[in-house]
Amino acid sequence: MENALVDVRNVTKDFYVGKIVVHALRGLDLAVHEGDFLSIVGPSGSGKTTLLNLMGALDVATGGDVRVFGRQLSTLSRRKRAELRLKMLGFVFQAYNLVPVLTARENVEFVLELQGVGSERRDRATSILEELSLGELVDRKPSEMSGGQQQRVAVARAVASRPRLVLADEPTANLDSKNAEMLLQMMRQLRDEQGMTFVFSTHDPLVVSYASRVVTLRDGTVVSDESKN
Amino acid sequence: MRVSLITKFAVRTLRRKVRRTLLSVIGVGVGCAIAMFMVSFSRGGNEIRFRSIADSGFGHMRIAPAGWEENRENELRLQNMSADLEAVRSSKAVKVAAPHARTTALLAFGTRVTGAEMLGVDPPAEQRISRIARAVSEGRYLEEGDRGATVIGSTIAQRLDVELDDDLFITVAAKDGNVEYGMLRIVGIIDTGSREMDASICHVTLEDMESLTGLEGAGEISITLNDYRHIARMVPKFRESIPEGDAVITWREILPEQAGDLAGDRAFRNIIIGIVILVVILGITSARLTAVLERKREFAVLVALGMKSVQIVRLIFLEALVVGAIGAVTGLLLITPVVYHTATRGIDFSGVLGGDTALSGVLFEPTMYSDMGFWMIPFAFAVALASTVVASIYPVWFALKVNPTSALSLREA
Repeated sequence: MENALVDVRNVTKDFYVGKIVVHALRGLDLAVHEGDFLSIVGPSGSGKTTLLNLMGALDVATGGDVRVFGRQLSTLSRRKRAELRLKMLGFVFQAYNLVPVLTARENVEFVLELQGVGSERRDRATSILEELSLGELVDRKPSEMSGGQQQRVAVARAVASRPRLVLADEPTANLDSKNAEMLLQMMRQLRDEQGMTFVFSTHDPLVVSYASRVVTLRDGTVVSDESKN
Repeated sequence: MRVSLITKFAVRTLRRKVRRTLLSVIGVGVGCAIAMFMVSFSRGGNEIRFRSIADSGFGHMRIAPAGWEENRENELRLQNMSADLEAVRSSKAVKVAAPHARTTALLAFGTRVTGAEMLGVDPPAEQRISRIARAVSEGRYLEEGDRGATVIGSTIAQRLDVELDDDLFITVAAKDGNVEYGMLRIVGIIDTGSREMDASICHVTLEDMESLTGLEGAGEISITLNDYRHIARMVPKFRESIPEGDAVITWREILPEQAGDLAGDRAFRNIIIGIVILVVILGITSARLTAVLERKREFAVLVALGMKSVQIVRLIFLEALVVGAIGAVTGLLLITPVVYHTATRGIDFSGVLGGDTALSGVLFEPTMYSDMGFWMIPFAFAVALASTVVASIYPVWFALKVNPTSALSLREA
């Protein structure tokens, strides 16, 4: 599809559990457009996380074609896929997954260092955290923060390099409703102000309520794709 | 200068499991300390061995008649002793050069007879080059111009039941296989502390040797250098400066059994050090692998965020290098007092040697000292850092194999 950030066409993904083949995705089609605030929903085992892995260049499809920013992932080397993730994509994980020995600022700064940003990375990291109203957390380590705070820092880390696409796997699963709401407002603000595109895999109705588009998966295929606007 | 976050990450990671890091550091430190002590003691032992060989009159090297190595006959004489002596004594690297002539002799007094290796010497040079010549227990050593005088070992004196100023009847192997006779007066008795060594000592002046055997000049010039480490450098220089017909050989060619022993000792030492380091490497590999396995999810997240393989390798190796560096310091702290003690007081092996420290004509010093020096610092760091880096290769390979998809899942990576 033209102008899609992510274009997934007739994608299959099989896993082997011993000698048994598990068909996680069965000819799935999906296009993600710039500015989408997209929730992928569906029961456990429907293929949400598998789809997110493929869109995030973390895994390769068994069949079909996945294009991210026009680049066919199956043709990219492991190194090229790492570069794509580093420069173009942001990730938010269910378990926050901040580096425990680094402070909030250092966690954000770390991504910038990986990108090769020079001496200004510290100021940039501080500025990103302040922009997201996390200024008071800069010198705290993950163990000194609540789950909600950690997840907001994780979002700051994900958007530090100004990626065009942020993939979030069950981002609110470990948060109470107040923190979940704060997190979603922050993400929507980033979408509105900076034009970032968000794709969530979720079971959370709150996330669905914030989404501009909801894609439902079942048994590895898209069973519905609804835009709210 | 700002420290990179990967470095901070590496250092702080080691503080996560302080007990494991400490055990790793102690493991590296102890291994490093054992290796250092073995090398230090071996270096000290080698130095003593070189000194013992040189002080037993063999020198560090020798000028001998060309072809001496093949048949080792005492009858062979240097082509140009004076020119050889002048050439080597003019070198600043030479501490002392002493000419020798050897023959087998039968010493008799009354009805008693014993065999000995008679050594013709230049007395002043001999006293400088040989500890044996300085070990006179009764009387005196030979002096320049002495004629008809001899100094014998204490065991010979006991066997012949002789004392100072007694006259020995000497029968020697002389020129062209003839047998010659003579009388020599005992002016001194040598007691080296080795009965075996003292049973073969019979020194006379080169002039007396010449008149007894009918062979002129010396059969060899033993050379002791100021620093034994210059042997390899000096051999070609002497080969260029001495006249044709004579050859320069080192103590290795003179005493091949000692050279073999030294090579054997070194090989044994290296095997033990290798085993110690291997054990350390296996221990550290286990600890490092556990650390990586515990952080599989973390590595998966880092890869998902775009961390490149080379950066993961750098992170794990940095952790290893920190452990190695602290381990090296620990090793130095552990072993320096021990090395200092053995370097200053030594370890006395006279009890083990049973009172006889002579072997193959070499009079060994019974006390061994370690070699303590600044070489220990780079050695400790080289061993510790190399061990920890090698120990990290498998954990690095494991970390690089981590599947980044597990970062998006709560399932185990």
